[in-house]
Amino acid sequence: MALENVNNVATGKLSVKSRVNALTGMEAFHSKSHFWGRLTLLLVIIASISLPMYLSFVVGAHPGWGPILGGLVGYAAFIGVLWFIEPITYFPVLGVAGTYIAFLSGNIANLCLPSSSAAQKAVGAEPGSEKAEISGVLGISIASLTNTVVILATVIGGAYVITLIPASIQSSFDFVLPAIFGAVLGQFAFKTPTYGGMALVIGLLVFFSPVPSLLKILTTVILTIGLIYYFEKRKDDRQRVNEQ
Amino acid sequence: MTEEVMSLANSPVLWIIALFIIGMVIFQAIMFYKIAKEAAPAAGLNEQEVKRAARTGFISSIGPSFGIAIVIISLLALLGSPITLMRIGIVGSAATETAAAQIGANAFGVELGGDGFNMQAFTTMVWTMCLGGMGWLLFTLFFTKSLGKTESKVRKKNPKVMAVVSLAAMLGAFGYLLTEQMVKGLTYSGAAVISLVIMVLIMKLADKKDISWLREWSLGISMVCGMVGGSLLTALM
Repeated sequence: MALENVNNVATGKLSVKSRVNALTGMEAFHSKSHFWGRLTLLLVIIASISLPMYLSFVVGAHPGWGPILGGLVGYAAFIGVLWFIEPITYFPVLGVAGTYIAFLSGNIANLCLPSSSAAQKAVGAEPGSEKAEISGVLGISIASLTNTVVILATVIGGAYVITLIPASIQSSFDFVLPAIFGAVLGQFAFKTPTYGGMALVIGLLVFFSPVPSLLKILTTVILTIGLIYYFEKRKDDRQRVNEQ
Repeated sequence: MTEEVMSLANSPVLWIIALFIIGMVIFQAIMFYKIAKEAAPAAGLNEQEVKRAARTGFISSIGPSFGIAIVIISLLALLGSPITLMRIGIVGSAATETAAAQIGANAFGVELGGDGFNMQAFTTMVWTMCLGGMGWLLFTLFFTKSLGKTESKVRKKNPKVMAVVSLAAMLGAFGYLLTEQMVKGLTYSGAAVISLVIMVLIMKLADKKDISWLREWSLGISMVCGMVGGSLLTALM
């Protein structure tokens, strides 16, 4: 009995230790991500409140709380549900650090996700793996940086920056969204064409369904996860049967 | 916008706050790049792959960034430079922010940039945009940690589930986003299909001949092909 206990303690300790060693890098990364992510978000929140506060109470252009509340309620009714839905929907793809970056800098579907997945594909990382997480963060952080610099240049340089782009090229930017989204789907459909086709069909069905429009993307994501999970599980089960 | 409102919208204090916010976004991006690079060996990425991932992020973001830049030009006249900078620099997209500005102005009883759009109306608009955009920031601030905990629990229990969920979430999101674009018309569908097909061809070629730089450029190249294709279809029709 006593010996058994000692043994248990010993193996317990050993496995804990090796697990700590294997996870140290990633665990440190996650705790650092929470620290810097929360700190930067908090500072930005304070700064974005200070701006209207300054207009109201230093400049003295306060419109009264009535219109402000009216504006907020109008906004919340317009897209308030996305405050909760978007971070949850995109979390499985973005991960901890990716979420902090993407939701601070915005432009998630048209900039952050494509850059993250392109970076993951460039190093051949499997979706959902730690390699995918880190390469995605490297891709997103550089994308956020690039985008911010371009925005800064545009606002400071004003319309001048845009006049540098010829009109014919400017009009082709009408198609920037279908081109990005098509390429991203192609990136995934390349390895798993059936799943890519399935996602597109589900998207089409949900689009024409009576689901409230703000919930449509979440609905598509949930249905796609359910269906692909079911197919993967069936594939695994079959494999197991074959092996036996 | 009247001159009075315009000079308030471009006043130095607003510039300082907007530049501080943009500075935080830049600082955050650099910080995360740094800590991700530190964690790279633990995640099985070598130095070359770190560079490759970063380069891909850069190449892939140039097109979308200019797409965003073109749209914000229209906002500059409506909101003034500092507010445009701080709102587009964080959270919002041009479409959301324009709608938010409209809602704010309406809450004060005027139209955006129309008659009676005075300093109070401008302030109401700024409050609406700032409080409205705060929702995402607050949710991310408070709940990313618990989402992360749930994720690592699932991953420890069954890493395969994470792989499936992550892949399927991406496919689902873009399946829907693409549908939304394609139903806009034939030219949009054309642009989407062209860029999808080019992407598949590039990835096939890159895998077959093992050309890693092609993988880095894949998103940039397919995007440009889709955009050019869409324009050509418009010209033809």
